[in-house]
Amino acid sequence: MTNFNKHMRTMVLALFALYALAPVYLVVLASMRSESDLFDGPLSLPWPINTANFHRVWSESGFATFFFNSLKISVSVTVLVLLTAPLAGYAFAKMRFRGREPLFALFLAGLVVPAPSVIVALYGNLQWLGLIDSHLGVILPQTALLLPFAVFMMRTVMQEVPDELIEAATMDGAKPLYAFLTVVVPLARPGLMSMTLIVFLFSWQEYLLPLVVLQTETLKTITVGAASLQGRYGVDYGGIAAAGLIAFAPLVVLFLLMQRSFVRGLTAGAVK
Amino acid sequence: MSARTAPLFILPAFLLYAAFVVIPILQVVGYSFFAWDNGIAQDFIGFANYARLGSDQIFWAALWHNAIWVVLTLAFPLLAGLLLASILAERGPRTVQIMSAIYFIPRTIPLVVAGIIWGWIYNPLFGLLNYGLDLVGLGNLAGAWLAEEGTALLSLNVVGAWTFFGFCVVIYLGAIQSIDPSLYEAAEIDGAKWWRKFCDLTVPLLKNTTFFLGLYAAIEAMRFFDLIWVTTQGGPGYATEVLTTHVYKTFFLVGDFGYAAALSVVLLVIVLGLSAISFRLTRA
Repeated sequence: MTNFNKHMRTMVLALFALYALAPVYLVVLASMRSESDLFDGPLSLPWPINTANFHRVWSESGFATFFFNSLKISVSVTVLVLLTAPLAGYAFAKMRFRGREPLFALFLAGLVVPAPSVIVALYGNLQWLGLIDSHLGVILPQTALLLPFAVFMMRTVMQEVPDELIEAATMDGAKPLYAFLTVVVPLARPGLMSMTLIVFLFSWQEYLLPLVVLQTETLKTITVGAASLQGRYGVDYGGIAAAGLIAFAPLVVLFLLMQRSFVRGLTAGAVK
Repeated sequence: MSARTAPLFILPAFLLYAAFVVIPILQVVGYSFFAWDNGIAQDFIGFANYARLGSDQIFWAALWHNAIWVVLTLAFPLLAGLLLASILAERGPRTVQIMSAIYFIPRTIPLVVAGIIWGWIYNPLFGLLNYGLDLVGLGNLAGAWLAEEGTALLSLNVVGAWTFFGFCVVIYLGAIQSIDPSLYEAAEIDGAKWWRKFCDLTVPLLKNTTFFLGLYAAIEAMRFFDLIWVTTQGGPGYATEVLTTHVYKTFFLVGDFGYAAALSVVLLVIVLGLSAISFRLTRA
């Protein structure tokens, strides 16, 4: 390996780009392929481009419904996190009170809790609360499971807000909540943006909670819908590809548009 | 003043977190000490559910698969991430941005969809992998990748790596940018080749980042569920069974609440233990 020259290094970069993109490319191709075209080989370009697969899954297999269910759940989770995590993160970053460290440690511990490990009790609790087979039964636990990450990230973001600015605001007689909304939130906007994106991403990707909580077909989310389509019509590859594309295209587009914000959020959450 | 306002600021987040995470965890711990019948707690049986772990072959197989997953993740996506980040570090900012975006795209795809896509690639009849092997004259290596015990776990790990290596690139890139460039300049004056600089400078200087990513990967390896559930559901046989799928099956399919709770506690102890270690060590 002594001759690992610049061209070979570029080759390595390209090879991994192929690894990352080939499966995505494959799905895009398959989604636009008509049935008669299917056996021409997986890499041949589909021609003519065919949107029948999208029409079929969107209106006949219920993916329009699944898509809007996912959107509703993800937006609700994101809003709930936005309403709760920045306040808590701010208190942990800037306020002194008894029990701050143990309470923060309790939130930190939640960073690693796997959803399958709480489902044994959570499922019965949701039944007891009458939340099984309702979107709220997904939204509330999902918010709770994402809160440790969001609170942790918000604390890091809020720590960077200069104390003098907060003090100046409170000296002028502003109430803590008012000072938070008018001074802290505008300064923390990039951090809030990153958190919003990542919480939305994680929530859209969630599979286990909607899988076990939602039973009615018209309530299911896009991840559950895509997974069940695979089992139901084991041979409708064009349809499955179109469904998969509908499930991930919004996330890829969102990521490409806001790459910087995404990366900042993930690295902030990563460097514990 | 903040002594009174702080609890109010934390309360909304705390209530949600306590109701849907902390209390269920305590309940799970409690459940694990009881015998259950049809979803109703019967007798307090102490550690009897835990005593069953010893003879549960599937539990040990699952734990072993989780461990293999950790090792494979350290060996492939972490190393790939380090190599790619080191190569990218000496390219222009435009290249860095485009390439890291490309590497990161798989991470934005839900694991369920990733599982479906790769399920196709591995399909023995029309999958791209066998097709490709055939094309380059290696058709005799073709197989039913996810349906054979020998290859299923490894094949799934390639999918896991696909969604994870871009994250490693991004984290490593951030760390490399904080290395003092004069160290590389000095090495160049000494005539060191790229590979030498990589082994003697980059790798040792980034060992904290590697350590962090390793623990992160280990925790993620204990938590993952979606990918296995949509592809193999733990099969063939128990070849890809992991702790999370074992918990799921014991609870939803067998209906054994007490034992499912005991398995959940084991899972929680492992992830919390790993995170406590990483927290201690990164603070030190």
